Amino acid sequence: MNAFGHAELPAEQKDALAKARKIQWIWLGVLVLTVAAMATVMGNSQAMQTALVEDGLSFLPPLAFLIGARVARMAPSRRFPFGFHRAVGVGHLVSGVALAGIGLLLIFEGASTLLEQKHPPIGVVNFLGTPIWMGWLMMSVALASCITPVILGRIKRRLAEQLHDKVLRADADMNRADWMTGLATAAGVAGIGMGWWWADAAAALLISISITKDGWENTRDAIRDLVDMRATTFDNSQPHWLIGQINAEVLDDPLVHSVQARARDQGHVLHVELFVQLRQPGVEVSWVEQLRERCRNLDWRLEDVVITLTSQPFQEGESSLDHDQGEGMGPRAD
Amino acid sequence: MAAGCANYPADPEDSLETARGSQLQVGVTENPPWVEIDDDDKPFGLEAELIIDYAERLDAEVAWTVGSESELIGLLDSHQLDVVIGGFDENTPWQSEAATTRPYGTASDGTGRVLLVEMGENALLSDMERYLIDTEDERAGEMP
Repeated sequence: MNAFGHAELPAEQKDALAKARKIQWIWLGVLVLTVAAMATVMGNSQAMQTALVEDGLSFLPPLAFLIGARVARMAPSRRFPFGFHRAVGVGHLVSGVALAGIGLLLIFEGASTLLEQKHPPIGVVNFLGTPIWMGWLMMSVALASCITPVILGRIKRRLAEQLHDKVLRADADMNRADWMTGLATAAGVAGIGMGWWWADAAAALLISISITKDGWENTRDAIRDLVDMRATTFDNSQPHWLIGQINAEVLDDPLVHSVQARARDQGHVLHVELFVQLRQPGVEVSWVEQLRERCRNLDWRLEDVVITLTSQPFQEGESSLDHDQGEGMGPRAD
Repeated sequence: MAAGCANYPADPEDSLETARGSQLQVGVTENPPWVEIDDDDKPFGLEAELIIDYAERLDAEVAWTVGSESELIGLLDSHQLDVVIGGFDENTPWQSEAATTRPYGTASDGTGRVLLVEMGENALLSDMERYLIDTEDERAGEMP
């Protein structure tokens, strides 16, 4: 896979994408094994059913990534003139909702266990003729289930930044939720062994708050991108640096008086509309085409750049960039 | 019996340690052929013998309470009973009110038969289950 729609990927991103896809397939395999191991240890209990719902939800981000990355590579068509980059935004929304769902489920479960004072029963299994307290097995499985998400989550976060892929970012957050849940379960079961019936629920409640926050932030950011908020970095922490770069590039031209870039996050790539105020009444068409090429060459994410020429000064609040925010470029200082 | 971790897992309500050397509080509801009750309100049958045998291991006597399933589950839930027997199968609807032990045997119709223990009393539950594993073979021939 070499491209997202018409956007050619540089070598670094090509490698990152191949690696991310491989990691997600591995992760799906690990998830299946984890579910099978938990089903063996926990049996057909109520707790197991809740755990299955959670696991079902953690399948969503890796699936959303694999499907999203595949759909996004399709070229624009007559019916879909902007291409399919937004598949990433949709995947991000799905992943964010799944993460928030897990968080809320954990809150509900923990709170209801504490309020109803449910004392969880954990008995003994016959392991090759030796009776073993099932709590030890549960702790082992819970701790073992932490290893992969810790490692893969860190890699995914790095790849998410390289690829500007927010589904991958949401999935990295999901992995964080996974290992935190594993740790909390182990601590909770250890507490139950001490006779503290509330330990498991309290531990789950503790981590559920942070998981719900991650889920809420991913959902919110996905919705913001889908309603064309100003493009941001992969973790929505700040405006995308390319907006400033493209403004500077355009303003560098002697014919340009001022410029405003309107950038929306399409998924992996940005869609940029440039409003350029000229110092003179007209320019050659080739000048516009060259300006567009210069902008596109700044970065692989800038595949779709539209330029509008104007002789009027920009109105305040007309675009997402204004002079006060410092990203828009004011009149050229000679 | 497996030694080691003497007090782990522990009971939130200390059921096992309270019963040891003293009394095991057992609720019983009649359900032939698993357990029956004679004219003097004395339980007999497979499950009654199983409980008496287990109590001996704890150096404890069995204090029987005869009643209906829902009465006994209520007493179990309020910590007045430690165990309830009455020919429950492993899919008993009381699973959300009481902890079920591992099946002590399989009936001829293929259902696993279990005892009910107070919810979350994991020392007692585990100790009983260790006993059930130890004595599994002895019961294999007598299951109805």
